[in-house]
This record gives sequence, C-alpha cells and structure tokens, in this order.
Amino acid sequence: MTIMKLIIGYLYGDLMNIYGDTGNIIALKKRAEWRGIGVKVKNISAGDKLKKGDVDIFFFGGGQDQIQELVAKDMGESGKGKVIKKEIARGVPLLAICGGYQLLGDFYNLHKGPKLPGIGLFPAYTLASRDRMIGNIVIESMFGRLAGFENHSGKTYLRKGLPLGMVIKGFGNNGKDQTEGCIYKNAIGCYMHGSLLPKNPKLADWLLKKALEVKYGKKVDLKPLNDTLELQARRQVFKKLKCG
Amino acid sequence: MYNSPMRTLAAILLGRAVSYLTKLFRFGGGSAAPGLFALKIDPGLVAKLSQRIPKNIIITGTNGKTTTARMLAHFTKANGLKVIRNHTGSNLERGIASTLISHYTLNPRPYTLDLGIWELDEAAFNAVAPKLNPDIIVFLNVFRDQLDRYGEIDTVVKHWCQTLKNIPTKTQVLINGDDANILKLASCFKGKVQKFGVKDYKILGESIGHLKEKGDLDFEAKNVKLNGLNGSSFSLSFNRQSSVIRLPVPGIYHIYDALAALACATHLNLPVCRLSNALKTFSPAFGRVEKLPFGYIFLIKNPAGAIQVFETLAPNIKPEDRLLLALNDNIADGTDVSWIWDGEFEKCRVQSAKCRVFVSGSRAYDLAVRLKYAEFNPKQIIVEPDLEKAFKQARVGLKGRLFILPTYTAMLELQSILTKSGLKKQYWEEEN
Repeated sequence: MTIMKLIIGYLYGDLMNIYGDTGNIIALKKRAEWRGIGVKVKNISAGDKLKKGDVDIFFFGGGQDQIQELVAKDMGESGKGKVIKKEIARGVPLLAICGGYQLLGDFYNLHKGPKLPGIGLFPAYTLASRDRMIGNIVIESMFGRLAGFENHSGKTYLRKGLPLGMVIKGFGNNGKDQTEGCIYKNAIGCYMHGSLLPKNPKLADWLLKKALEVKYGKKVDLKPLNDTLELQARRQVFKKLKCG
Repeated sequence: MYNSPMRTLAAILLGRAVSYLTKLFRFGGGSAAPGLFALKIDPGLVAKLSQRIPKNIIITGTNGKTTTARMLAHFTKANGLKVIRNHTGSNLERGIASTLISHYTLNPRPYTLDLGIWELDEAAFNAVAPKLNPDIIVFLNVFRDQLDRYGEIDTVVKHWCQTLKNIPTKTQVLINGDDANILKLASCFKGKVQKFGVKDYKILGESIGHLKEKGDLDFEAKNVKLNGLNGSSFSLSFNRQSSVIRLPVPGIYHIYDALAALACATHLNLPVCRLSNALKTFSPAFGRVEKLPFGYIFLIKNPAGAIQVFETLAPNIKPEDRLLLALNDNIADGTDVSWIWDGEFEKCRVQSAKCRVFVSGSRAYDLAVRLKYAEFNPKQIIVEPDLEKAFKQARVGLKGRLFILPTYTAMLELQSILTKSGLKKQYWEEEN
C-alpha cells in the first residue's frame, strides 16, 4: 500500500492566526500522522503564488481588522481567490474560521471603512455591528453536536445554501436566525474557535478523508482513533452550557 | 445632597466599613470590594486622594506588572521611601480606590507617603491613568491575552495612544524597546520617552511582517547569563554607566521587569549600586514564580507568558519531577481557552515516561487534549478537574519537585488550598 501524504495550505497563517486557530492545523496534522499519513504544512501568504493541486486541505483562520483589509486585497490581486474557488469546485476541502470565513463570502462591510470584497465562495455576506457575540457555543450539525467558542461582532447572513449547523446555545452567524457557519461542497466556514477540530474529531476526520479521496481518486477509510479525551472535553462544554 | 468633601468622606467611610466586614467574615481579600462601593458614592475619589501623594508611577502591560511593581516597591522601601501600592491582582479602578481608602488619614500634612506605585490593567489604564496624574508611566509589553475581554491587540495599543495624547508632557514615559507594538507608542507622546530592552533580543509580538530596527536603548541589559531556576545576571547600561545586576528570579522575562523597575528607580534618583544590592533580598509575588517546600508555582495566563515559563522550566525538569497544570475559564482567566493552542506545550514535554503530568481546573479536559496533541504520552496524563484532589494526588509518592502551572483563578484556589494545609499565609496578609 502506498504511503499517503497530505499538504495543508495555511492561508495567510503568518497574518491571520490570533485566536488559537492554529490548533486546527495541529489536530489535522496529528490525526493524519497517527494513521501513518505524512503531512506538510505550507504557509500561503501575501506575495505567494497558488496553483491547482498545490494544496490538499485549505485552512484559513481569524485575524485583526487591519490585516483583513490587506488580505482581502491580496486574494483578489494575486489571483489566489480564483484558484481557491476552482479547487473547492473540484472537491478540495477547506475550513475557515471567523475572519477567514468572512473573507471567503461575498463581502464584509467593516465598521469604519470600505466594503471588503470576499472571493464569493460562500453565498454569504457579513455586516459589522456593535454587538459583541462572545461565549461558548454548541450547534447541531451533520457531524453531530459541535462545541466551540465564538468571539465576533460581524454578523453573517446566508443568501442561500446550507449552514454548518443550527445553534443550540450561543449566537452563531448573526444571533437572529439560529444558523451557524456555512457549508458549500467540502468547504466549511464558521465562527467557532476552541480550537474547533480538537474537540470535534469527527469533523477533523471528515476533512482528512475528503482530502485523501480527492487527491488519490479512490474511497478512503481512516483507521479509527481513540477519541475518549476529545469527547470528554466536548462533554465538559455541553455540561457547562447545560445542553446534555 | 452632599457637598464635595462630605461626599468623599462618606465614600471613604463606606469603603472602610466594607473592608472591615469582608475581613471579619473572611469573604474574599477585601482588595477590590471597598473601592467598588466607594466609587459609587464618589466617582472622583481616585483623582482626589492620589493628589495627596507627591509622586505616582503607573505600570501597565500584559505580563509582568505585578513583578515590576513589586521590584520597584522593594527598591524604594529599601531606600527609606514610604510607598503605597495596590494589592496584587487588584489593578482596576476599584482596586486603586480600595488601596487609597485603606491608607487615608484625616490629617493631610505632613505627607505620610512619598510614592504611589500603581499596576493598571491594560483596558482600565485609559480611564484611570489621567486621574492619577502620574510622574512616570511604564509600558511593559502587549500580547494576546483574554481575547474575550480585550479584543484585539491593535485596539489596546490604539487606545493607549489616544490616552497618551492627553497626558501632560512633563510625564516620563518608559517603553519596552523590544516589543514592536509598544514601540508604536513613542510617536503618540509629545513628552520624554525612554526605551529599555535586552541586547540582541526581540520579542516576537503580534505585529506583522518585519520587526523594526531596534535603535538605541536608554536602559539596556547586556551579557545576560541565565542560571537555571535560580535566577540570572546581566550588566545594566544607561547614561554611559554600567553595573552588574543579579536577579534571584529566573527567565529572560524577569529581566524586562527588572529593567523597567530599575529605570523608574533611576528617575527617582536612587543610586544603582544600592538597587543591585536590594535585589538580593527580592522575592516574587505569589504564584508568579513561587518557591514552595516541595516545588514551584509558575502562573500562566496567555501564550507569550506560557512559552516564557516553558522555556525557563524545560531545561530544568528531572525525571522524578512532576507537573500539575490547571486551566480555569473564569472571567479573570479569560473565558476563551483557545489560547492554549497557541501556547507551545510541546516545549514542556517531559522526556522520561516516568514523569507524571496532572491536569486540573474547570477546563481540565481541554488541556489534556492539548497535551495529547503535543505528543505527551497519554499514560503520563492524569486528569482530575478538582484542584484540591489533583494537588493531593500529585504529591503522593513525589520524589522530586512538583511544578504547578495554574491560570489566575486556579492560582488563587491553590493559595487557599495551601493555607488550609498550613503551608502558606492567606494572601491578603502578605506584606506589600
């Protein structure tokens, strides 16, 4: 059996990584390595080129407002935005958190300043607001109940398409319509820090599986891992929010 | 209603009453409640009472405020100055108010105090600093910390910048010249700004891209020698003089605290040789680097601080030692524990499989998962959310030292656990 390898593309990882979202990269890397899959993490930032096949899973984290402006500009000017959309269209998986999620939508209207154009991957747009949506969050999704922590004032609205899940406790996309995140093909965007993947191993494995299947063109079954600790950590959040 | 002096007096009396009651019923440390109530009666309390103190120094930043304030208090007291300082961890306006109330005397002359040393929380700084009319302000550093409370680093710095624009230019501002974000403050203040730092060392803060050229430091530490967990030494350069300083607390991060404290002391005209002597008897505040009969406590509260602790500890851990990590998510700890994924726990991984690692606190399992992904041997990890139980278990059969790494409120819990077992005085009895 050939040894499988994966390349994780950390979009703007040097600029957008302020909420512990690197934990998602750590989770993906370790869970792959524990199954004998080799992993390389590539930082793809301002000034870097991106072409088809360079990356097997994309990750895009949260950042400060000032940086988001810079990044939005670069994604458009460098053509990376177009390549990412094409890759997602052919099934490459992606996970985007908070700022990354916002920049992959139609646009993000900042507090004071321009309307930042997104790349139009997710059918969603984000408006700045004065409300700070902060706290532990639990949602129901096709990956089961997910637990995380949100911290955003931007309110995201889905024009169409599917949310990642429905909010059981917390605010989610906008604190109004009970949706959280967005899923399009194998791309997921959401507001959940925590980090998200360590406590939600099923989602982590789904991303790995999709990446391998797209790359190697065949069905892949991942060896199950012992997730007792991860699930206990998630349960600790459920208990805290009293949602069993 | 009350006229102004009556209002202030009423506020002080209420504060004193609250303080007495909280101590009588052993309810909390009494270090913030008195101020909270007093400020409701007289919101101008801090400005009015601090006016009676000849000199006031403010210390702010993410990490190191307490240690810096304590070192400065140590120097100044050793030189015969009468100092007032807000209690450990009480660095919001109500903490300052509580301290001022407890030292209030009806007779304003002669001054019974020479100096006020005030630790201010990063956010509270903006509202409270102008009220204290400080002679010196120290900006230690700014790191991601309690993102659920402060929001973004750029915002913290922006607000400081705004506040500095309204501080009188006679104030002396001291900034950490190795922190790219703190350096931005130099252009916000029209008065005197001096920089302190360590030669050839750069703090990788939150700024993007290239780190600026350091430029000249007014207070520089050269020839740094780290001496394990026992401390360090360096040669302090300022005003074309040079002196050897020996610190009894370990880690490069404490050198920054010492530089800030030394810089303040020189502005108070205290001779450097006396400062260096005074340091020999310096002991850190509870939990920062606290030495106990059976080990140490090192407070961790954000990735930068945690990494600094790990780098100091890692070379000094032996196979028979044990670790007890405690992660709480109360308001004072920061309710978002995502930060542990930016903390390089990998640096703390203990070589020998025999070393036990105990994980505790209200988010013990999150921390255990972090350690698992840092490739700690799962058999080494023992999860026990109840801190008292975890502490007991960690000491059963302990042959080496126990290193305890708690977040803020876990550290406070630990203090009362230690006091109950007769090992430590109650923190509010600890002398300033």
